[in-house]
Amino acid sequence: MFGKRDFSCGNILSISYFVVRAINSLSLNTRFSKFVFLVNEKVAYIYISKRFDGNYKIISNREVRAGYFELIVKIDNITRYCSPGQFFMISVPEVFLRRPISIHYVKKDSLSFLYKVVGKGTKILSKIQSGTLQLLGPLGNGYDFKNWEQSSYTVVAGGTGIASIYYLATKLTQNGILYYGARSERDLVCLDKFKKMNWKVIISTEDGSKGYKGYITDMLLKGLNDTTLLIACGPTPMLKKVIQIAKVKCIKGFVSLEEKMACGIGNCQSCAVKINGQIRMICKDGPVFRIEEVEL
Amino acid sequence: MKPDLSIVFANVKFKNPVLTASGTFGYGYELADLIPLEKLGGIITKTITLKPCDGNLQPRVAEVTSGILNSIGLQNIGIKSFIEEPLEKLKKLGVPVIVSIAGASVSEYVETAKILSCQNGISAIELNLSCPNLEKKIVCHDLSLVQNIIKEVKKISKIPVIAKLSPLVTDISELALAAENQGADGITLTNTYPAMAIDIKTFKSKLSTLKGGMSGACVKPMSIRCVYDAWQSISIPIIGCGGIMTGEDAVEFMLAGATAVSVGSSSLVSPINLIKIINEIEDIMIKKNILSIKNIIGMVNKNEKNNTCS
Repeated sequence: MFGKRDFSCGNILSISYFVVRAINSLSLNTRFSKFVFLVNEKVAYIYISKRFDGNYKIISNREVRAGYFELIVKIDNITRYCSPGQFFMISVPEVFLRRPISIHYVKKDSLSFLYKVVGKGTKILSKIQSGTLQLLGPLGNGYDFKNWEQSSYTVVAGGTGIASIYYLATKLTQNGILYYGARSERDLVCLDKFKKMNWKVIISTEDGSKGYKGYITDMLLKGLNDTTLLIACGPTPMLKKVIQIAKVKCIKGFVSLEEKMACGIGNCQSCAVKINGQIRMICKDGPVFRIEEVEL
Repeated sequence: MKPDLSIVFANVKFKNPVLTASGTFGYGYELADLIPLEKLGGIITKTITLKPCDGNLQPRVAEVTSGILNSIGLQNIGIKSFIEEPLEKLKKLGVPVIVSIAGASVSEYVETAKILSCQNGISAIELNLSCPNLEKKIVCHDLSLVQNIIKEVKKISKIPVIAKLSPLVTDISELALAAENQGADGITLTNTYPAMAIDIKTFKSKLSTLKGGMSGACVKPMSIRCVYDAWQSISIPIIGCGGIMTGEDAVEFMLAGATAVSVGSSSLVSPINLIKIINEIEDIMIKKNILSIKNIIGMVNKNEKNNTCS
């Protein structure tokens, strides 16, 4: 979905910069989603997501399960620039920094975010029922799964990692197998949605209240078919294990990483990660990276 | 009449006093889609070192009440790569570019400054003398080291040299005066405040390096005090920095004695805040009938003196 691998990052930045300068008077605070230019007289395309910083109306913000909330905001004309794996920085009153929250699903004129109350920021956010919220996004690079349309999908989700995995599932051309691990049965928030889509779901809980008792990666190791494309989103210890399994079995795929971040746009440099021996920013260069390139 | 926001700092002309603070704006040009960069007074780049630097382990940032702690560890691509790419792009923005540098020794500072000094399109060098995130102690805690770095860099630099100082010293005016005496063309006050936060869920520090630097709205009154104190004892200009979230905050710094301001944490929250701050300064000037922003620099000092006399 992004042409980054075909061109150096520097080219992309310089090209986008000049195009943006040219169009600044027409559309403020936006950049092109796709534009055409010539390289050695051949037409090349570069895709760059548009990102916006604006105030959006809250449609609803309700508790879908104890401790888990779904925030839906009205967003016109932006949802078409969103792709699975991307996130928004959401302003929360009374706390200093915005909170990065991944996109749960997209409708024509609204965006949904599924989040768990884990600290002060999400607690305050969960109490807001109406009005507007300042959102910056969509940010980051999502799944570049276009070349993989023929393969089968094995998707691993841990905890709230399911939120963005669901968005991805809605965009895949065929159903896959979901390995879904959580602390306990009450943390399995999206089970119904995947069942409705007729996905095969393998479940584990740490307390054994549903499915296999233990970590989902144990189940993955047993069941993983090595011709599949592997996709994972969840806590870092889980991702470490998934990456290890992928390496041993030589399976390709993607992982969506998470780290503390202040800005979400590559400026604070908090969310650094080693990708192929190079320091990269999860917010700007990720959060989705190729599984074989990540060094956790 | 449209108020005049322009200032002159160390013989460099800026169209307004609002600069980006080092380390909070990447290399400066990546946000062209989110804010009109050409409206900025100037850009202070993130700190560059002689060799590339990977930075610290995670976690590198933690939120505190009204601010943040960071411990990035001077992650940067090194001076050679910086000149090849980011600098070329920065030059094209049409705003003055100040390059922040740091080093592990006097010779590293000098070497880096020497390389930059040969480049076109750099308005000044800012010496990061106060990053609290390196393993070695903060440069500013060693007065003779501070003096040495400024003196040696001044010897070779063909462009103005600004010393960015740590607020955590016994007497900030003494340090400011020392910078002036070694030939600094200006100072930036202040860098982040050494600080710490502990996670009561894990009983561990919230930062991998245990301690970090605090910035954000919570540090503003302390930084204003530093600017006010330094202004009394030096005649070189000051870039005020620390918790500037609004135009009012920026004006406060200027009243205390700052000629320019640099904005950091606020632009991490929302880059457009930089532009809002410039607009708000202009609004305050119109409201208070101030024709030139230069007229308010250090005004609180003058006002206080008048009060004492009467």
